[in-house]
Amino acid sequence: MNWRLAALKNGFKDYTAYRVEFLMEILGNAIVPAAIQWVLWYAIFKTDGATELAGMTYVQMLHYTLVSVLFNQVRGGDQDFELAEMIRTGQLSNYLIRPVGLIQFIYIRGVASKLLISALSLAIGIVLSVSVLSSEASPLRMIGAMLLALLGNVIHFQIGAVLSAMAFRWEDAYGLLMVKNMAVSILSGELLPLNLFPESMSWIWKSTPFYLYVFGPAQYALGEWTHLEFVRQLGVAFLWIFVLWVLIRFTWGLGIKKYVSLGG
Amino acid sequence: MQLLFKPEIQTHFALKDVSFNVEPGSFVGLIGANGAGKTTLLKILSGLIPPTEGSTRVLGYNPFERPLDFRRKIALVMGQKAQLWWDLPANDAFDLLHAIYDIPDKLYRERVQILSELLDVKQHLQTQIRRLSLGERMKMELIGAILHWPSVIFLDEPTIGLDVMAAAKLREFLKVFNQREKSTIILTSHNMDDIERLCSRVLILRAGELIYDGKPAGLLREGERRLKVRFSLVPDLEELSRITRLPLNQISVAMSERAEDPDLAPETGGVYFTLKQDQIVPVLQILMQHGTIIDMGIEEQSLESVIQRVFEGGIKP
Amino acid sequence: MIERLKLYARIYAIQLKNNWVRETVYRANFVTAVGVDIVWILVEVSLFAVIYSNVPSIAGWTKYQVYFFLGIFFTSDALFTVFFQRNFFNFSDLVNKGELDILLTKPVHPLFLALSRWINLTAIFTISMGLMIAVHYAPQAGFAGGMRWALVLFWMFIGVISAILLRFAFAVWIFWTDRNWALVRLYYQFFAFASKPDAIYPKVIRYLILTFIPFAFIGSVPARALLHGLELWEYLALVLVLLGFFILNTILWRRGLRRYQSASS
Repeated sequence: MNWRLAALKNGFKDYTAYRVEFLMEILGNAIVPAAIQWVLWYAIFKTDGATELAGMTYVQMLHYTLVSVLFNQVRGGDQDFELAEMIRTGQLSNYLIRPVGLIQFIYIRGVASKLLISALSLAIGIVLSVSVLSSEASPLRMIGAMLLALLGNVIHFQIGAVLSAMAFRWEDAYGLLMVKNMAVSILSGELLPLNLFPESMSWIWKSTPFYLYVFGPAQYALGEWTHLEFVRQLGVAFLWIFVLWVLIRFTWGLGIKKYVSLGG
Repeated sequence: MQLLFKPEIQTHFALKDVSFNVEPGSFVGLIGANGAGKTTLLKILSGLIPPTEGSTRVLGYNPFERPLDFRRKIALVMGQKAQLWWDLPANDAFDLLHAIYDIPDKLYRERVQILSELLDVKQHLQTQIRRLSLGERMKMELIGAILHWPSVIFLDEPTIGLDVMAAAKLREFLKVFNQREKSTIILTSHNMDDIERLCSRVLILRAGELIYDGKPAGLLREGERRLKVRFSLVPDLEELSRITRLPLNQISVAMSERAEDPDLAPETGGVYFTLKQDQIVPVLQILMQHGTIIDMGIEEQSLESVIQRVFEGGIKP
Repeated sequence: MIERLKLYARIYAIQLKNNWVRETVYRANFVTAVGVDIVWILVEVSLFAVIYSNVPSIAGWTKYQVYFFLGIFFTSDALFTVFFQRNFFNFSDLVNKGELDILLTKPVHPLFLALSRWINLTAIFTISMGLMIAVHYAPQAGFAGGMRWALVLFWMFIGVISAILLRFAFAVWIFWTDRNWALVRLYYQFFAFASKPDAIYPKVIRYLILTFIPFAFIGSVPARALLHGLELWEYLALVLVLLGFFILNTILWRRGLRRYQSASS
């Protein structure tokens, strides 16, 4: 069997073994951020009586919350921590002799669960797009949006892989990965729609690829982006993937050279 | 919901009708195969678990009530569980015990001095415990456990995993401490050497029952050795008995000795022969003609064979 | 009694010293830990900064009042982190690996030993960050200051006690389950609700986080009490809920211990 397929299968098995925990994790990950968003919008619109926020009505806000939760589930996992830990503990040596790309292997094994979740999210999203959401939303847009979110998942891992290469030189890259995840939590749009950022500050989120994880897909799914804009953003995503791929080769190449010269 | 909870622990009697008294200041060995109830007995005596029936008194206290004065006077050392903090040098780790047992400063310093000299680890007091060897670590654990000069010390497998030298040192120390300080020591062990050299009295447990209570002398048969042979193919015991012309009860399947598996899985291809010294060479010659031998060794008598003999009624206290 | 207290104080002092010895060995972690905490604070603050760039107030709370709340919340949370977080984190090991056995034979309360072992000295830096934020925004938030800063101490104490009682109520189930990380996760998910002022929540949630899952007592009730004072029923709720959790925890601990002791043979 192709080793990539084997890795994927292996990852599925890990997750189906702990079904209860798996379900609780998904539920928790979905409900808590959604509830916090909803609570904030409720306070602003219902308690304070605002009619619009950055051009969005209460209903539009709730739609955003609903859809963002779906894409948030697909957002990057913890595989990058696994990489950093391997370098730190020296477990990496066990893999250097194997002919499969370690980085790919770790990614594929970890992404298995995310694929399950994204299929589930997509199904829910399609139902939402023909029922609850506004008339601009459509199943086709939902499918495109999920595709973008999955590219976001790749990008997230790639950034993590570049950062974990720091573990070759520095005792723990753990802190860097944590910092990255915290930056993602606000700049991906999972906590609030990014158009709430004041105009003068919008360059902050536009200059990272994080908005492609949640905010971007949500915009397309809700009909805020034209199809042309979506295609353009797909291009942006692929550009990021390419640049990061080059960066991974470079940083890991340097790192492994150092690792091997130190005797692993 | 079922997935979230442990299945109910099956009730079974770990110990049945075990009854004994121990004189203050004596050194008692507690032996038995894994699962015979040794650790359960130690836990009952040190107040960690209650006996389901019957009563226990240690130093005049009911252990399971865990009164303060009782806890001040006992020590429990488990070979497999560390109480000292691995990230610290032993000296700092002892400080905590100094405070917990409220030992007067002067006395504390003297004791650390004496104990670390007796156990030959004085030069390691400032070393992080994680950097010490297993033997040194166990010595530090022992020092930590008895800094408060307990009247009763429970030792669960203190020599497990130690090399011969370290185990000997530990034994010598326990003997001296018991004689000098008149502490009562109750020790469990897998190692017949521990029991033979230390204990004035031995209790043998088998499947939760006390099957022997008496002196260790006479448990071992003079001049008897055990030959351990590992074959590449798992042999048939009757076949072996036939070719070596040894009775079947002198041949047994070897059990793996790794401490972590609780029910001792048979070691593949390993067989024990109980022999007199002068039988060893002829038996080996026969065996070599009949099969491929991977590994062999000569050992002292095993705990298992002693227990087996006691159980079969071969030895009376 | 006094003798016992002195003994416990001496033990705690040794634990502090030992943690200091340990942390000086692993100094590299310090930079990482502090860096991560600063970014966490930045993210939490900027979330509100973004929202407040669009609206003047949320549920009657101005930007500065929320910043003041965040300062109080960070401080209270960091205090918990310094003294308790890792101890609770390791609580499951204590039970699962039977390390509790050794603690039970010691002549001091086993829970005291279990919860005083790890002290995270680097998080003291976060305490000072939180306090700085609170002090900085206090005038604009309308906090009178002066002698009232003494009240901050009292409310910090309440915040930490609440966190301990809640965290314990989630941790103690380890006596009945093998792996309780799902529960621990749940704790941190609820905890996210504590990081927003409780005034913004709809009524039902507000009552819940003031009673059955009293996460509001960790930060938002203290901040609100300092800024506006509480309603009478809320003081009453505070006393009753904390007392209730204390009793519940005591019962669960005793039962759990009994189960631990009957299961370990």
